[in-house]
Amino acid sequence: MSDTTLPTFRAATEEAPFLRIALIGIAVAGLAVLVFAPLAVVFGEALREGWLAAVESLGHRDARSAIWLTLTITAIAVPLNAAFGIAAAWFITKFDFRGKAFLITLIDLPFSVSPVVAGLCIVLLFGANSAIGGWMVAQGWPIVFAIPGIVLATVFVTFPFVARELIPVMIEQGRAEEEAALTLGASGWRTFRTVTLPNIRWALLYGTLLCTARAMGEFGAVAVVSGKIRGQTATMPITIEMLYNEYLSVAAFSMAALLTALALVTLLLKTLLELRHADQLAAIRRH
Amino acid sequence: MTARPLVHKTVMPGLGLSAGITLTMLSIVVLLPIGALLLKGAGFGLSNVLEVVGRERVMASLYLSFKLALLAALFNLVFGVLLAWVLVRYRFPGKRLLDAAVDLPFALPTAVAGIALTALYAPNGAFGSLFQQIGMKIAYTQAGIFIALVFVGLPFVTRTVQPVIEEIDREVEEASATLGASRLHTLRHVILPMLTPAALTGFALALARAVGEYGSVIFIAGNIPLRTEIAPLLIVIQLEEFNYDAAAAIGIAMLVISFAMLLAINLIQIVSRRKMGHV
Repeated sequence: MSDTTLPTFRAATEEAPFLRIALIGIAVAGLAVLVFAPLAVVFGEALREGWLAAVESLGHRDARSAIWLTLTITAIAVPLNAAFGIAAAWFITKFDFRGKAFLITLIDLPFSVSPVVAGLCIVLLFGANSAIGGWMVAQGWPIVFAIPGIVLATVFVTFPFVARELIPVMIEQGRAEEEAALTLGASGWRTFRTVTLPNIRWALLYGTLLCTARAMGEFGAVAVVSGKIRGQTATMPITIEMLYNEYLSVAAFSMAALLTALALVTLLLKTLLELRHADQLAAIRRH
Repeated sequence: MTARPLVHKTVMPGLGLSAGITLTMLSIVVLLPIGALLLKGAGFGLSNVLEVVGRERVMASLYLSFKLALLAALFNLVFGVLLAWVLVRYRFPGKRLLDAAVDLPFALPTAVAGIALTALYAPNGAFGSLFQQIGMKIAYTQAGIFIALVFVGLPFVTRTVQPVIEEIDREVEEASATLGASRLHTLRHVILPMLTPAALTGFALALARAVGEYGSVIFIAGNIPLRTEIAPLLIVIQLEEFNYDAAAAIGIAMLVISFAMLLAINLIQIVSRRKMGHV
């Protein structure tokens, strides 16, 4: 009697241990193959000929200009989108008007347009063959195959990022706090700065982070509008393509590793934000 | 009966400013460029647009883009739900790292993903050489495109399903178990129906993303006309040859299909919300 062991207890809402282990195994193996392996390859290929070769390739004149260009584009596109996101979220959540659902659909539209089609649209509207583009070229301000076109393409593909994060948070917080501040005599700007902004700052930062990651890495839309002029309109992702097609593997992967490092930093910051400010960001997931 | 006002009156300031910024930027960045594309198509004429879209090479690329995007989204639907379940319900070492890794395809530039996957699955790559031993070629075939599309669509289903699993009431599962259902029966008939609406939304998002994907695909695809040439690449090729009309025609075809999918996403959301009674 004493040597009979009780069957191990398992709650009715748990799967059998073998099933649990199998599912965890599939998840880990799947992510290892799909995500971790490509990540390892980027750094492995970049360092194939040692640190020196990798760093040296990034010091090349064209590489430096690509890095500088990508940073410039990001520095212009992200604040533009943050400003748009705040304005759109304010407009949509603080006022009641007809056609709101339609407006939200239009803001989300860039998510379902292929980046290449986005680039094509910009070429057709602002290219040298179009009325607007032709006039701008005559004024000495070309848009396509120049920096403004790349900025436009980047803003297009990242368009919904900030607005999408802010709208659910601002819907949840309602309008009462702002109304109280206004009743107490605060100006509109003061209400926004001292009441709204503190309430939405983490969601704003979150959206801005996602926007930054995408802006630095955008390829399809930029490839169409940039013209790929070395040292002038070749961003980091475009330079990766050019180097790769020239079989300069180490140089291509070194630049890819740099972009990957930036992406990992973004991911780390995002994870930290999610841990620290889970309550505010939870609203984003609920909607 | 008075007509509903366009904007309801409120004390809230900044209507003109916020509406102005929103509508101006929306017009310049999104609406006017898309309008220019549609205008180009209209100028080219419907019959010409259809003629371009009907060309063998164009049809093949559109078919390829949609077929592989659908397959990849289906894979992500199954794997994404599994992943979400594991990440919410189980505890194991490294879980947080795994959770963060799900977002990597969002953060990693597509061109980087493209060359990394190609290096992995090329015949001399780490995985490619393994497949070659069993006589399979991944890179420069449709299988390679499939893998790239799985990569870019990976986070969508997991991220839409995770919050739903977090909110499932354990009492429902207990009730099911008390009534004599086996665990598998509960999972299939109680849990899965609750996850379906969110999973379908994630599926549609992954599908939309995969259809238009360019950067991660072109490196691994090999880009052989009629075989491994995706629709976005064909647009780029037309543009490089200054065939703006043909590029616009293919672009419009893709846009129409994207619109249809956006509509489908919205319909799914409406239906699922009605069915669930909340969310």
